Amino acid sequence: MIKIKKSEFNKFIENLQKNYSVFAPVTDGKATAFKKIKSSDDINNKVLNTKRSPKEIFFPQSEVLFQYTEKGMEVPKREEKPFAIWGMRNCDTKSLLLLDKVFGEAHQMPKKDMYKDPYWKEKYDNCLVFNLACNEPLSTCFCNWFDGGPFDKTGSDIFVVETDDSFIFEAVSDKGKKFLTDCKTTENESDKEIKKIEKLKETAESFLAEKEDISSLFSKTKEIWDEPIWDEIAAKCVNCGACTFVCPTCHCFDVSDEGKGNKGKRIRLWDSCMFAIFTKEASGHNPRSQSTQRVRQRVMHKYNYFMDNYDEHLCTGCGRCVVVCPTNLDIREVIKKILNYKNEE
Amino acid sequence: MKNTYIPFQMKVKKIYTESPDRTLKTFDLSYINEEDKFDFLPGQFCEFSILGKGESPFGIASSPTEEDILKFTVNRTGSVTNEIHYLQEGDIVGIRGPLGNWYPVEKFKGQDVVIIGGGFAFTTLRSLLVYMLEHRKDYGKITVIYGARNSDLFIYKDEIEEWEKRDDLTLHLTIDNPVKGWNKLTGFVPTVVKEVSLDPTSWCVVCGPPIMIKYTLPVLTEIGFPDEKIYTSLERRMKCGIGKCGRCNIGSKYVCIDGPVFSYEEIKKIPEAL
Repeated sequence: MIKIKKSEFNKFIENLQKNYSVFAPVTDGKATAFKKIKSSDDINNKVLNTKRSPKEIFFPQSEVLFQYTEKGMEVPKREEKPFAIWGMRNCDTKSLLLLDKVFGEAHQMPKKDMYKDPYWKEKYDNCLVFNLACNEPLSTCFCNWFDGGPFDKTGSDIFVVETDDSFIFEAVSDKGKKFLTDCKTTENESDKEIKKIEKLKETAESFLAEKEDISSLFSKTKEIWDEPIWDEIAAKCVNCGACTFVCPTCHCFDVSDEGKGNKGKRIRLWDSCMFAIFTKEASGHNPRSQSTQRVRQRVMHKYNYFMDNYDEHLCTGCGRCVVVCPTNLDIREVIKKILNYKNEE
Repeated sequence: MKNTYIPFQMKVKKIYTESPDRTLKTFDLSYINEEDKFDFLPGQFCEFSILGKGESPFGIASSPTEEDILKFTVNRTGSVTNEIHYLQEGDIVGIRGPLGNWYPVEKFKGQDVVIIGGGFAFTTLRSLLVYMLEHRKDYGKITVIYGARNSDLFIYKDEIEEWEKRDDLTLHLTIDNPVKGWNKLTGFVPTVVKEVSLDPTSWCVVCGPPIMIKYTLPVLTEIGFPDEKIYTSLERRMKCGIGKCGRCNIGSKYVCIDGPVFSYEEIKKIPEAL
């Protein structure tokens, strides 16, 4: 554990920038999001859950897969410096681990390498993640349902607690340990600091609503797949897709070409299972033409299908979808409804 | 690490117009670089792209035994397939593959096989049939049921003529409605499957439009085929082909990597598969 005084924060970020492209929560008049910063002045340490999730650092809304000319195809050159992400919250650091299962790890297939996503791996594999503890979780936070928490360290390289006058750093991964060892402008912690952190943690946890027991969510979702409850759940949904765009774990995309003649590029863009066209085939056949089917797909993918493949829910309880939904379709209510549903048999 | 999103280039070697209305064309592609050649088995697919226009998934219609080409049959229906139809012999296209799994040809060895196809979905079934005919002595009785809306819409008509002449293959062709001059079967595929007497100890492969698959599988069950010996190939609007983009997700499976070939036994466990 090491401590950096708030007065030294600027210098710390400056040093970090020497070896890393630094991303942090930035409020620039638009939605708060993780952006590459020029200086520490850009950083907003007060915002808890950025409006847009940090998945876009590694998996941007649009990304050029390759450019082509008459001479052939070329993958755009990336930044040379590895990424350091400052100020991620536990719900987001956990989401990176989940996305890495999709993009980074290969599915259980022969010739595994071909199933790895080079664009994700290039950015994610060398990045350094600073997880900033949440001193005052929001009313929409439900990370505790998924065994996360305001002071949980899962998915981070370095865990950071903000106290009244300092940032206290704790190495979590080997990468984080190495970074802190190399860090010179430091001072060791005291018992006083540890007590301070304990107190902050206690306060933070008191902000969270009661933890819902979701241990039966997997089996329950499977049980009710064919039940009319989905019509009830989907009734409010307008299929706008906002939830999928702000979600830190939603990863569906489309691939399209932009070009004329011999020059152009192939791009991937975020897409959403909420849109009818997502599954519509050229023939006109659409396996998920009904809104109810699409809402069920999103809920099932999060709380059943992903669990089936990877033994984890594809949700970290960040609550962004709760905040942005224009019809107040609250995923926490959906989960409770599913858990409490009684089959009429 | 291999970047699976980057296609390699192939040359359009020969184009066949399959139907008089020109909605169905077959493209034989030849490799430009020897190192791009890949091994595959019947049932696998590729992403076929025209740079600047886009990419679409198609089942490989050639057999692995036709070593120098890849064959695709394309129905002209959307923006990418339109562009594919504009191709001329000699043009360059992009290919990514082979993707997905295949019909279990190993399990079929020494066994009777029934192939049931509909319309222009006969592509991977052609691959399978040509492959089995090429290794004829490895397989038992081969029966093919192939249906189309009308006789113009059968693909590979020249080859069908050749197959009809063979005595080591039973071929049933059917069209939806009776027409003057058509002396083969009439009726939808599920009905025909019921009518021609099939031996339920055979293995069975079904591929066709979704509606055909949906109504044919229960008929096979009725006849007595066990679920684990019935195979079908699903289609979805696949983009990445490597289990990332999420478009072909059904249940905990991805059609592009866990399929497109599934047994009826598996299909029954996957919600929304049919």
